Amino acid sequence: MRNPAIEIKDLWFAYNGERVLDAVDLLLPAGEFLAVIGPNGGGKSTLLKLLLGLERPGGGFARVLGREPGQAGGHIGYLPQFTQVSASFPISVLGAVLLGLVRPGFDLPGLFRGGGARRAEREAAMTALSRVGLADLAQRRLSDLSGGQRQRALIARAIVSGPELLLLDEPTASIDGRSRQEFMALLARLNRDMTIVMVSHDMSTVDGCVTSIACVNRTLHHHAESRLTPEIFAEAVGADLKTGCPVELLAHGPVPHRVLLSHDDPNCCGGRHAHAPEDRNGGRP
Amino acid sequence: MIEALSYDFFRNALMAGLLASIICGVIGTLVVVNRLVFLAGGVAHASYGGVGLAFFLGLPVLPVTAGFSTLAALGMAWVTLSARERADTVIGVLWAAGMALGIILLDLTPGYNSDLMSYLFGSILAVPDSDLWIMAGLCCAVLALVALFSRGLLVMSFDVEFARSRGVPVRFLHFLLMGMTALCVVMVIRVVGLILVMALLTIPPFMAERRAGSLAGMMFLAGCLSAVFCVAGLYLSYTLDLTSGATIIGVACVGFVLSLALPRRRPAAGSGGGA
Repeated sequence: MRNPAIEIKDLWFAYNGERVLDAVDLLLPAGEFLAVIGPNGGGKSTLLKLLLGLERPGGGFARVLGREPGQAGGHIGYLPQFTQVSASFPISVLGAVLLGLVRPGFDLPGLFRGGGARRAEREAAMTALSRVGLADLAQRRLSDLSGGQRQRALIARAIVSGPELLLLDEPTASIDGRSRQEFMALLARLNRDMTIVMVSHDMSTVDGCVTSIACVNRTLHHHAESRLTPEIFAEAVGADLKTGCPVELLAHGPVPHRVLLSHDDPNCCGGRHAHAPEDRNGGRP
Repeated sequence: MIEALSYDFFRNALMAGLLASIICGVIGTLVVVNRLVFLAGGVAHASYGGVGLAFFLGLPVLPVTAGFSTLAALGMAWVTLSARERADTVIGVLWAAGMALGIILLDLTPGYNSDLMSYLFGSILAVPDSDLWIMAGLCCAVLALVALFSRGLLVMSFDVEFARSRGVPVRFLHFLLMGMTALCVVMVIRVVGLILVMALLTIPPFMAERRAGSLAGMMFLAGCLSAVFCVAGLYLSYTLDLTSGATIIGVACVGFVLSLALPRRRPAAGSGGGA
């Protein structure tokens, strides 16, 4: 049997003495597409950093692809939050994808790698670009691409090393609505070959596209369903359904009201029109 | 200009300007894309302590300043990594402390030296042959280091989080970059002086960034721009009898304004494909 992609038991992480993550358990079989949702500051990105070995946990057990975090190097494709990449950086799309082939430690420059190795790297990069549908833009400057194209180029950088696991931190934040759907379709295609964990606070992208959902808000609850139920939703925004319908949060949060249509809790006010009087933002998400 | 070239001091000035241009193109590019301009400013000013120390101990200025600046730079690099949220403040303190130390040491040095001003505003017209050789040596060393670690430096400059996740030794490269910045600063002090060192480190790379297709292209273009500014500035300072360091920076600033007015490169014009 294949190793589970991720195995975490009783993991915790403290920042300045405060537990940002506590008692986290997660068993993610290979081949899943997991969405990690939750409020800002709830520990989503920290969880990714623990999986990558960029942060050390306070305690607990964690295995990624059967290895210690940080030991799985090129087997993990990582896409950090987009704000990390300067928009004016002078690099071609192909050049950016080639960076995904950097080896750990002191990697030699191209001059010492030999022509054969360089050609192989170039081919791998072009294959990755074809998979994300950007092969014809390979020579363009990365900063000339649209937000959606740029994210796809960075996905190509993440998958160029042929990873078994793809970790994405808010990949849709810089993409507008239409390209967002295309981007999610791309991830669904990639999911046939690799496990994907996607951190997102944009819950509309999660709905229906993933195989399971984890709500992270200091603790982690793993829901083995792909739809955003009212319960999961309330948990993700840190609200308690019993105290009432989370319309207040909806009206001010980033969540489209579309979510409410799948809302079938008879105890709740039912349907978005009933909310209209309280909806001070005029129905805008 | 031809007449000026018959003078040794002017030929040395040109050589010093060209060497400084090569190194500023390379290091300035890395400083700008890694957003280390403030750190480089701190190193430049703290290096004044090295100048004071050299005079106080009666040792050759360039090697002592190089050593002192490198230590200051590594200290600042350590602070940025370990106390991230207050790093800018600590750099400000080191910035001031270095300068103050330099002035106090000069005060304590018997027979006050008017050479002081030349380290503030540059003394490109008085570069001796021996300093040219040291500059050439430093230049080669820095170029070799950048070439050797080019891939790691590129990955780190582009996306430090990603670099960390792939096991690139980001910490080491950060220290390396700061050390090289210190050496670069010491060289450029000779040419345009401490006060104006930042301009040569930032203006050409900034102008090049928007037009280059790769980091190597940006280094090359920035180096060429620096060289043009140095030669034009020297020529103007010779013909108009102006302070050479300030004239070089003046030319660079005019170029900077012109580059803002000119349109940036067209999207499709791919210059230099890979990394």
